[in-house]
Amino acid sequence: MRIGIVCPYSFDVPGGVQNHVMDLAEALLGLGHEVSVLAPADEDSPLPPYVVPAGRAVPLPYNGSVARIAFGPVSSARVRRWIARGEFDVLHVHEPLTLSLSMLAVLSAKGPVVATFHTAMTRSRVLAAAQGVLQIVLERITARIAVSALARKVQVEHMDGGAVEIPNGVTVAKFSHAAPLPGWPGECGPGEGGALGFLGRFTEARKGFPILRDAFVELARSRPGLRLLVAGPGDPDDLFDRFPAPLRDRVTFLGLVSEADKARMLRSVHLYVAPNTGGESFGMILTEALAAGTTVVASDLDAFRRVLDGGRAGHLFPTGDAVALRAALAGLLDDPARRAELTACGDLVVTHFDWPVVARRVLEVYAAAIEATDGRVIDQEWAGLG
Amino acid sequence: MPGMWWVVGASLLVGLVAAYLIWTAGRVERLRVRADSAARALDAHLLRRAAAAAVLAERRYGVELYAAARIALDAEPEEREAAENDLTRQLRAVRLDPTDPECEAVIAASRRLALARQVHTDLVRDARSARGRPLVRLLRMGRRHPWPRYFDIDDPTLELPTDVPA
Repeated sequence: MRIGIVCPYSFDVPGGVQNHVMDLAEALLGLGHEVSVLAPADEDSPLPPYVVPAGRAVPLPYNGSVARIAFGPVSSARVRRWIARGEFDVLHVHEPLTLSLSMLAVLSAKGPVVATFHTAMTRSRVLAAAQGVLQIVLERITARIAVSALARKVQVEHMDGGAVEIPNGVTVAKFSHAAPLPGWPGECGPGEGGALGFLGRFTEARKGFPILRDAFVELARSRPGLRLLVAGPGDPDDLFDRFPAPLRDRVTFLGLVSEADKARMLRSVHLYVAPNTGGESFGMILTEALAAGTTVVASDLDAFRRVLDGGRAGHLFPTGDAVALRAALAGLLDDPARRAELTACGDLVVTHFDWPVVARRVLEVYAAAIEATDGRVIDQEWAGLG
Repeated sequence: MPGMWWVVGASLLVGLVAAYLIWTAGRVERLRVRADSAARALDAHLLRRAAAAAVLAERRYGVELYAAARIALDAEPEEREAAENDLTRQLRAVRLDPTDPECEAVIAASRRLALARQVHTDLVRDARSARGRPLVRLLRMGRRHPWPRYFDIDDPTLELPTDVPA
């Protein structure tokens, strides 16, 4: 199949959508399809061979942050030229309701169009005012994909249409084969040792770091050798100030980590803790921790419960309850058999999120979109779906 | 001369209105054609699932499933939705074994059917909403074709992608 994918955001800046697009493109290439990705980027910036640069993105303040987008007559001409040359069987755009290459591509497309919605954006005033314009964009889309249950709910309730829920993928091999950091995770015997991990912005309340800190401080007092590995953006002094002085040398801060270092970090701990108090629509990090073969302890949020197979692939504790978290951590650190049981189930769960598996489900949506455009049914074998 | 400006203005207005009407008529037609294609694809997927279920029922699971599949294949248009729902219920009642190739064929056909149903519903909704606009009704655009119809069946998915209770 010839597939054209449009990414609205520049690859110069890392981000969830960009990673998703690259991983999907690579998975589809790996399944033997022809893929071209159109994204805003300078002509001279280093890009994977399958990416076609559509020119520099302009920073534009939007919704409280800065979005880098490409929009306008020049971009529009480039999009049309790319579509005409590509002769794609299907066009797959991401976030088509942002002013971006994606929207331009939808408006220039003739054939089947599949759109993926990442954010669970609710109906804003801008959106309501532009409903007529958005309707023109939406009705050119043949099939819609939502990456989370929440994004799908927004589709159904506000955009007046259904969407197929296909989760974000994870490249399992990248995580399962990563080498742990030197000296980690270390010993973990009954009553002593063990390593805990946390990844995210520790200053952001909904990430729930204070809950983990309280549990760690209490547990570390009675459990010699217990260590905590923290990664994410933030100031080290700000982090260490949150811990009593005697415990500070048992906390390691990595700062912002690359994708490769994230995999190593997840392999370096006995327990990965996700104490989030809300606002998570999917829980990508949990699938990554499962892929790394690390036992997960997470707050009992809907999104997390779904990823963790209702608690069979990881331990769920009552959201916001530091005492329950401490008890769970102590219990699991002392019980390697239980940890093995959870990670074994985690291995099974994570195969559903492996990119080749996710890409096959996306291919089935492509097939449905192509079929709905010309009315003929595509064979599994022809489309390489099997 | 003010008279000439009136003429220019009026012809410009007529031109704009005409362009808008042509564009709207094109839009209504485009969405109708697409809903029709989606209906044909949906029909093909319904037949495929029923055929796969009939093949499977001949070998195992027996008479009830076979009967449901035959009824779905032969159903008159007005009875078809109920017949397809009945087949979905029958398929859910028997425990399909995903390792068996013929069961897997039914599971895959159901998955593709679920996608075709979803896309069809969306495209029919788009087509009907364009057709229902006041101007379109007033000028009776698209009157040569019947209104696109929904095909109202339950979600035919047999297995959830992850074994998570939704």
